[in-house]
Amino acid sequence: MKEDEILGKLKESILNFDEELAEKMAQEAVNSNVDPLKAVDEGLVKGLGIIGEKYENDEIFLPELMMAANTFQKAMSILEPKIAEKGKERTIKGIVVIGTVKGDIHKIGKDIVILLLRTAGYEVHDLGEDVDLFTFVDTARKVNADAIGLSALLTSTLSGQKDVIDVLSQQGLRDKYIIMVGGGATTPEWAETIGADLYAENAQVTVRKLTEMIEEKK
Amino acid sequence: MLSFYEVIDRTVTGPLMSDQDFYLKLYVPELNKVIQQYKIKYNPDTPLPSDDALADTVFEAAVDFFSRVGAYCPDTSRVLQFTKDEIMQAMSEAPSESTFGEGPDRKVMRSRKPDEQSEPWYHCGGGIYTTSEAIFMNIVEGLTNIRKANSLSIPSSIKIKGKDARVRSPQEVLATIKTVSMAREACQRAGRPGLPILNGISTATGPISMFAASYPNFGLRPSDGYLVDSLAEMIVDFEALDKVAFYTSIGANIGSTSTPLYGGYNGGAEGNVIATVTYNLLGILIFRGTYHYNAPLHTKLRVSSTRPLLWIIALANQALHRNAPYPTVNLPYLGGGAGTDCYYYEMAAYHTCVITSGGNMLSGHPSIAVEPDSLVPLDHVLNVEVAEAASKLTRKEANPIVRKFLEKYEGQLKGPPKGLKYQDCYDIETGNLINSEYKKNADRIRKELKDLGLPIVKSA
Repeated sequence: MKEDEILGKLKESILNFDEELAEKMAQEAVNSNVDPLKAVDEGLVKGLGIIGEKYENDEIFLPELMMAANTFQKAMSILEPKIAEKGKERTIKGIVVIGTVKGDIHKIGKDIVILLLRTAGYEVHDLGEDVDLFTFVDTARKVNADAIGLSALLTSTLSGQKDVIDVLSQQGLRDKYIIMVGGGATTPEWAETIGADLYAENAQVTVRKLTEMIEEKK
Repeated sequence: MLSFYEVIDRTVTGPLMSDQDFYLKLYVPELNKVIQQYKIKYNPDTPLPSDDALADTVFEAAVDFFSRVGAYCPDTSRVLQFTKDEIMQAMSEAPSESTFGEGPDRKVMRSRKPDEQSEPWYHCGGGIYTTSEAIFMNIVEGLTNIRKANSLSIPSSIKIKGKDARVRSPQEVLATIKTVSMAREACQRAGRPGLPILNGISTATGPISMFAASYPNFGLRPSDGYLVDSLAEMIVDFEALDKVAFYTSIGANIGSTSTPLYGGYNGGAEGNVIATVTYNLLGILIFRGTYHYNAPLHTKLRVSSTRPLLWIIALANQALHRNAPYPTVNLPYLGGGAGTDCYYYEMAAYHTCVITSGGNMLSGHPSIAVEPDSLVPLDHVLNVEVAEAASKLTRKEANPIVRKFLEKYEGQLKGPPKGLKYQDCYDIETGNLINSEYKKNADRIRKELKDLGLPIVKSA
């Protein structure tokens, strides 16, 4: 099979959520000596880009995003070791630590952000819900994060976002991370009040704004 | 109907499953199968459908879906499963009416039929945050003064002695008690001490605050409404069941509530209409509800007023009220701020869909319910007038009107206009309406709505 055809099929596997095809084409790429990084970036990631656009336009929804992410992972389980064997590594856009703040157990909004970040090429550490503020700080330090995402749906849990910023300031770490806030109760005014770096009204805007901020930081 | 003891027993005997597997291996695949099997298809040309066969199919699909999937208890990582027979038995014993309030304000909320043209239940207000006690009191008094209002949702007051009441904190307990006491006092001031409060109580995020505020001396009564939420999607946690255990023990009205998410695990319109109905089944069977709050929501825009969401709320109400006469109030989260044309048209489209489909009215929450002090009483007078006007229409008559309303606001939902706050319109000392422009604008909107075909009549 020609390289172009393999790349096209890898993209197609993502668009059709076809895990079997993804595995088969990833193996075919390896057998045909296609650069595994190229297989990822010009095959799978192109498919993920289209998936992201479709999600933004309400043509597909969370279940399809999850299926696309799973398909991507299937292919990556074959391609990633080959990338490592060649002494290379896939460029990631950034490292994000994210969770719903203490006292708040809502998760879907955060989970959508995580999926979009992952499909956009971010390494994401999901801390889950009702997360202790020091877990955000400790994890961010441990994984050398670029950004910390703090989700809150309830007005009475918004203070949990401020707490994380306060403790980062206390420890002299505030400027090390981009702080993103989101969730039903957050507003741009609140983000400004607590000194967050990034407020986004929805998941796609989060990814777009974060990417711009990380680019600017470089 | 299965006893509550049997229901809670299933949280410890149902099959073990991770939440990830519940969604990916059970919920999403079964929902897709049900959509295909019952051939449910969204039609953007009829945001307000009037196809009774489709409504009945949606109901059947929801019963089937609930029997295949059940609900998920994160505290035990188990799935609560129910057979179709158990679900149908619960439906047959579901309350078709719920009695609220005391004295002259003691009234019956009923399940209405689509195209019934009876007056709906008018539920006014919203649990939106207020910045001061004076504004809280004035808003509640202003809402209580709406003579047609049958019940109230009172705002949140999450400060106590000037400090934030954090979730599950002692301050929250005190703030919840204060909220109830203040609301009752405001109702008394307006001469309607028996008016029921149905959103008991938005200041409380958990059962401890709610139970504390339910102590009779603070003013909450079993004839008010006590809300029990499931988290999206189909999550039934112990906190919710704790509330059910308590509320059933004091003989209170229980409002089962749900916010199915458009764009989330339910996918688009088809999945969400099934989920919306399913939550009502869950409300009856698991939460022992006497009424239901429907609030399907767009995950990205955080509003209830998009074209597919209108279709969802209309069709879900039709499916329910034709097959399981469980009273519903329907909560519109609207993008436009208070007093904006966007808000009024969103509200009018939503209520018209709900009322003609058999639902009851809950007045529109402006600015996606995040702008403090945005409950402006005159807006809620208009909500009542719109709902009353919609009750004079059939679904077929109303669909073209809804389409005209949609044309007025659909393009604005990605960046809706900011609106007014209570203090922009009313004198905080006297509670009198002082913004003549706002009042004039409301009259203009009434005229525009009438010109577009809604038979709205200005109330006295």
